[in-house]
Amino acid sequence: MIKKVFSWVDERFPLDEMIKHELTEYPVPRNLNYMWSFGFLAMFVLIVQLVSGIFLAMHYKADVGMAFDSIQHIMRDVNYGWLIRYLHSTGASAFFAVIFIHIGRTLYYGSYRRPRELLWWTGLVLLLLLMATAFMGYLLPWGQMSFWGAQVITALFGVTPFIGEDVVVWLRGDFVVGDATLTRFFALHYLFPFIICVAVAIHLVALHWVKSSNPSGITLHAKDNIPFHPYFTIKDLFGLGVFLIIFFGFVFFSPEFWIMPENNVPADPMVTPPHIVPEWYFLPFYAILRSIPDPLGGVVAMAMSILIFLAMPWLDRSNVPGGAKFRPGYRIMIYVWFLDLMLLGYLGAQAPEGIYILLGRIATFIYFGLFLLLPFISRREERRSREQGLPREAERLIREEQEELLKSEHYLRRENDQQELKDIRKRLEDKS
Amino acid sequence: MRRLLVLLSAAAMFAGAQSVMAGAGGALKMVDIDNSEQARQRGAEIVVSTCMMCHSLKYIKFSDLSQIGMTEEQIKYLLEDQDIDDRMMSLTPIEVRKESYGKVPPDLSLMAIARKKGPQHIYTLLTDYYYKDAEQEETDNHLFPGIKMPDALAYADAESDEERAEIEAQSRDVASFLVWAADPSAESRRTIGAYVIVYLIILTTLLYFLKRRVWGKIH
Amino acid sequence: MASDKDLDSPDRRDFLGKVTTAVGAVGVAGACYPFVSSMNPSKDVKAKSTSVVDLASIPKGKTHTIEWQGKPVFVTHRSDETIADMQDASTELDPQTDADRIQKPEWLVVVGLCTHLGCVPNRTDDGWICPCHGSLYDNSGRVVRGPAPNNLIVPHYEFVDEKTIIVGKKV
Repeated sequence: MIKKVFSWVDERFPLDEMIKHELTEYPVPRNLNYMWSFGFLAMFVLIVQLVSGIFLAMHYKADVGMAFDSIQHIMRDVNYGWLIRYLHSTGASAFFAVIFIHIGRTLYYGSYRRPRELLWWTGLVLLLLLMATAFMGYLLPWGQMSFWGAQVITALFGVTPFIGEDVVVWLRGDFVVGDATLTRFFALHYLFPFIICVAVAIHLVALHWVKSSNPSGITLHAKDNIPFHPYFTIKDLFGLGVFLIIFFGFVFFSPEFWIMPENNVPADPMVTPPHIVPEWYFLPFYAILRSIPDPLGGVVAMAMSILIFLAMPWLDRSNVPGGAKFRPGYRIMIYVWFLDLMLLGYLGAQAPEGIYILLGRIATFIYFGLFLLLPFISRREERRSREQGLPREAERLIREEQEELLKSEHYLRRENDQQELKDIRKRLEDKS
Repeated sequence: MRRLLVLLSAAAMFAGAQSVMAGAGGALKMVDIDNSEQARQRGAEIVVSTCMMCHSLKYIKFSDLSQIGMTEEQIKYLLEDQDIDDRMMSLTPIEVRKESYGKVPPDLSLMAIARKKGPQHIYTLLTDYYYKDAEQEETDNHLFPGIKMPDALAYADAESDEERAEIEAQSRDVASFLVWAADPSAESRRTIGAYVIVYLIILTTLLYFLKRRVWGKIH
Repeated sequence: MASDKDLDSPDRRDFLGKVTTAVGAVGVAGACYPFVSSMNPSKDVKAKSTSVVDLASIPKGKTHTIEWQGKPVFVTHRSDETIADMQDASTELDPQTDADRIQKPEWLVVVGLCTHLGCVPNRTDDGWICPCHGSLYDNSGRVVRGPAPNNLIVPHYEFVDEKTIIVGKKV
């Protein structure tokens, strides 16, 4: 019976073929480790946020007089409202944790390199969309941190030359963060996740064209690929199980860990809390912002701290293929960079006084310094590899990759097209 | 190694964020909070009879007190002019309270989670009053020097250890009640949570063995 | 035939896979429950599922309109004359005796929404008339003239004491 339905559909829609080509028979390198499960986890958390968000929106009121009360209504009166609220607040942190590990994996293993640059850039767009969504969502509970965080960050746009003040007022819809701001942030916070869904689809299209990289960073022989199903369906599901234990551990036993106590106090435009701290996932960027004494410089530095990632494919000038596995210089750089990020995160939560100011500047300097050093480090590393020779395993993989490329779809198609072009030109010449 | 670094970096960020939330003036008295219904009921009585002269609890209705085991009779006994379905609002007019203290005393519904170690703050506040002068005319508070709130439980007036112990017990009860008031669903949340985690451990174990079996064929 | 001791035997493979799928499905179903439940009336709405009516404030011969679950409810304190008339009368559109529609003869409690399309009828001496399409109801809330098909609905109510009733049931 089911078979009949599917064959009826098959005549009219490539459902079966799509499922086979993109999912069940999709080729994946056999040596992927669990670091490759985080893309799937991110998609799962996206769905958790979407569903919990929509059900919260059924009860939330985006009005400065009612917002805080509506959250308490959800927590106390709505059936399982507390659960849906905690899913959403914990999910926001889980989303960033998963995404940061996902990005870390990409940097370490060199998955941003040719031919995966567009995959990398669409990923960065997704990160920016996520940050904007999280920032706007944080205003909605209308607590003290919500209000003052939004007040500070919208004020940053005032550094825009000439029209700064107008930009800030335009963003807020008012001279200060107020009802107009709250309503529009709610509308946009509801919209952005759907833009994220479209961007994820584009990200996946890019992925399926170039296929996953792997821990060696070098394309494997075709014979070393295995179908996604059942190998990676079950592996991803197991990874999901482990993740859910941690995630629900927080949701049910420590949800308040992710909610700043100040935000349990209704927003008061007349009283600023002693320490305004953004959520943990914004801390490193907040630290960079504060470490530049000039306001415009600080905002530019903060923006550049993310935008500079766009340049990774160019900054990395090595022609030695692969990720950190066969590149000791690059590996050290990545470790230093991760440690620096930890330091920046810690500093972002401290009051900007005393030794923290100096440390913040040093950490920012290291952050950008590493990016700017990358061209030199990578070129030097390549030279040394050429002189000393690559490890045997790397050489074997590179050789197999070359063989593979020659047989690859894109290569053949390009060769084919070029041949066709030659034929057409010849025919035209013969005619004239 | 790299995974460890990622986890450590996360931990560092949290540690940073937590350390910002310190206490106000004096040291916090780190008492344990009694989660029993009796403690909460005693706390409810004190809050309704004493604290609600100046504070409201707008997110709690009197009828909600049935959740901590009070009968309708016991609840009605606490009421003055209010209805059992009313929210726990102070009967003193706002203008009077504003004049006496400079601003409207804050709502207590969420006080226990408005700070890190909220219950300990509440307990310490109530038991940190002392007389500034020998004539015993003006009180102040070690935890919040210069606080406008008066010595609600008359701790500074206590003359013997027994009297102090009694007020300390009352303060602990108030903290217990306010912990419940800030998050009434906490207990059912943890109960459901236990079932969810056990279920997930079972499911993840099954998935693990299934994964091993599937991959065993190619290793 | 492969024996059960063989790790790869079809029986054993199916069992683990089937059990895991079943356990997973239970979890997915369980996960849906809180979301579906959250769409049902919340605690504050459920608290309004009953309304208390003070009968002492309604003089003989008068009708008060009270709110119950967001709907109007007519509470009429019927005079002896009216009671006698209603006990004698009968209607044809939706036959029902007066006795079946009351608990105490001097108190009539009916939902004040016309059973045609839901408008609120206006009080007359003989009952009610609906302004929308002209349906007529008598002093027992029975439909006398259409287009309404049914008598005014009698909600669930209870006498707490002589002077108080609670309309509706606690959800």
